[in-house]
Amino acid sequence: MRKRNLTKSADDRSVSRRKFLGLTAAAGVGAVAAGVEAAGPVGKGSALFAQAPARAGAARQFAGITINGAMFQHSFSAILKEYVPEFEQKTGMKVNLELQAFPVYNQRADLELSTKGSGYDFLNVTFIYSGRWIGAGWFANLEEFIKDPKLTPPEWDAADFAGGPMVPFKDAKGDRHGFPWLGEVQAMTVAQPDLIEKAGMKLPETYDELMKVLAATNDKEGVKAYVTHKTHHWMWVHFLHGFGGNVFKDPPGNLTPTLDSPAAIQAAEFYANILRNYCPEGVLSYTDDQMVAAQAQGRANISMHTLSWTMPVADPKKSKVADKVAYVMPPAGPKGLFPGVGSHGLGIPIGSRKKEAAWEFIRWALSKETIWRMVKERDYTSPCRPSVLNHPDFKKGMTFNGRDLAVLSLKIFEMAEKGGYMKYRTVPVFPQVGDKINKAIEVVATKQMPAEAAMKQAQAEAIADLKKAGIKIDA
Amino acid sequence: MSTLSQYGAEQGSGVPPRQTRWQVQQRRDLLCGLMPALAVLAVVTLAPAVYLVVTSFTPLNLTLPATAWNFSDPVGNYLSLLRDRRFGNSVWVQFKLSFFTVVLQLLIGLAVAMLLNARTRFVEAVRTTFLIPMVLPPIVVAIIWKVLYTPDISPVHWFLKAIGHPMGAMITSPDYALWSIIIADVWEWFPFTMLMLLAALQMLPDEPLEAARIDGATYWQVFWFVILPLLRPAILVAGLFRLIDSIKAFPLIYILTDGGPGTVTEVTNYYAFVQAFNFSYLGFSSAITVVMVGATFFLSWLVVRMVGTEVEVE
Repeated sequence: MRKRNLTKSADDRSVSRRKFLGLTAAAGVGAVAAGVEAAGPVGKGSALFAQAPARAGAARQFAGITINGAMFQHSFSAILKEYVPEFEQKTGMKVNLELQAFPVYNQRADLELSTKGSGYDFLNVTFIYSGRWIGAGWFANLEEFIKDPKLTPPEWDAADFAGGPMVPFKDAKGDRHGFPWLGEVQAMTVAQPDLIEKAGMKLPETYDELMKVLAATNDKEGVKAYVTHKTHHWMWVHFLHGFGGNVFKDPPGNLTPTLDSPAAIQAAEFYANILRNYCPEGVLSYTDDQMVAAQAQGRANISMHTLSWTMPVADPKKSKVADKVAYVMPPAGPKGLFPGVGSHGLGIPIGSRKKEAAWEFIRWALSKETIWRMVKERDYTSPCRPSVLNHPDFKKGMTFNGRDLAVLSLKIFEMAEKGGYMKYRTVPVFPQVGDKINKAIEVVATKQMPAEAAMKQAQAEAIADLKKAGIKIDA
Repeated sequence: MSTLSQYGAEQGSGVPPRQTRWQVQQRRDLLCGLMPALAVLAVVTLAPAVYLVVTSFTPLNLTLPATAWNFSDPVGNYLSLLRDRRFGNSVWVQFKLSFFTVVLQLLIGLAVAMLLNARTRFVEAVRTTFLIPMVLPPIVVAIIWKVLYTPDISPVHWFLKAIGHPMGAMITSPDYALWSIIIADVWEWFPFTMLMLLAALQMLPDEPLEAARIDGATYWQVFWFVILPLLRPAILVAGLFRLIDSIKAFPLIYILTDGGPGTVTEVTNYYAFVQAFNFSYLGFSSAITVVMVGATFFLSWLVVRMVGTEVEVE
């Protein structure tokens, strides 16, 4: 069973909420004596807190400055907004943080960034737009801030961000233009594993096993065997990789689309078959929320979405199946296992005139202390700092029905970093190609076209669109 | 006196009268008074329209600032449009959507107007309730229909399932998705045509109707040969308004189908939106929009001509 309250699950040696708050406040006023022990993911604390008075003094250099920023609505950004007054008190800065709905934010940010204006000093770097925004030079290179010890003390530990979630925030040279606040991994959520056990089967580990499980359990006890949502360019691509295909030939260097490859056609047919036969009626119009609700209400069994989305299935207040849901590694295809990794971060627009003050805010927002505090106080489940992910308290809190999701997350982060298979998603022209994938999958699933014809059409349209963006396409 | 004599001489000679200094001054003052309003109008409406047309001659892509004033291939976007299968499909979808929504709104609007063409308190109360869909914000209408069309939460689907006739999801069916949009749009806007036709019905003269009845015409004959011809100008105007508005269909498609499944419900302005705001191809999107503006002007001109002819005949 999941330990709902991370603070309560902590043992005596861990940072208690009161102790932690005390330390943070003390750091703010420069009253912490050197040598205060602070166990937990912030490390043994002495190095960090010994420098706290000096840092606090340095932070006051931005007193009186107002910075503006925007993020999309999310539990993280909501908590952050609540914490902002403490930052303002500590630094003397004023922070205007706007929160907008996800699509609204992305469209506004896209337009704002394209003007290279100074309206915002920090912005959310949205995963699927990161290639476009960073590739176009719309976010400042943060290396100079990171390397300057006056702006970034060593204990902030810029290396303490998992490699997979960091990928979208690096340019072609590997320079960082943002840091992630959310790292999410694509896992298989089995809402009712008992249905599979009753059918005399185990949780599927391969595509073949998955199809057998779906066929054996579909409509049993009124439960659909699978559920997904309409963003197929996220939900389908791990199948594409599993069959040996890719979205582009060799991203980010060669962006020739490969949507008509035999593997892509096979993956489209495979996924469309699942959509047609094993999903709830109307699944093609499902949003993420509808997908999760179908699982939480016991109407659908398996999904393969990010953990940050499917966590409510394990929440007893929201779910009828919280006591049995299983989060496991997705099944592997004939060519391997490629679970997706996504991340969102914070960066500084190139047009900002208050970059150093903005960096001060980002450093605070993504510091070990702030992240750990969100985890402890507010059950934040998707941090990207390995020091948090590996901490025993976090692992305890992230154990659901005997399965450790922190370990699962770290493993998938590592797979994505080493395999490099998520590079397709952060190229500047991904939105165009993603749209073609969505349309093609819908066309195949509704039998408007066979998979081969649909994917060939998607390929032709993707090439035409990429040529508009000046992308060089292989003959 | 001299001015009057000059005026008389000019009248007699057929030469246009020369403007007096007062008239010139008056004209100049009027122009000065109008200038601020004209300047605001130019800035608010004409300048963006001109910018739209200018942009359509460039490959403007937000991620590539150098494309902003690149006129090296001014007709490139328009040539791309001719080769673009998805654009062609969007025009066809737009045609189907406009045709069916306008026809159904006129038919239903006319039928309801005929039924409500009475002056009783009950009918007046019913008439008001019929107006509700039209005054709701379009997003609210879209959400209402999203609920009705989603099998998990739709009372319609629950009812049909309960009586043993479960129905598939209309908005994800390639056969019914466009019809789901048409039904919602007709529901939202038939009150508009109803209102216009009801007003026209109440303005009809009594004499032709009474004459037809005295001559022994049946109800249908009166409707077909007397009422309908008299209503034709109002029907044309209502149809024109709805036709132009149907080209602007957006919220229902955005909320209900996202243009899908595939491109079954992707109309032209939705396609322009996707190109501009999802892909950043503002130049290409502007070209689509310019074509749409041209088509709308042409349709308006055509219908206004038809209406004008009708009025002259009348």
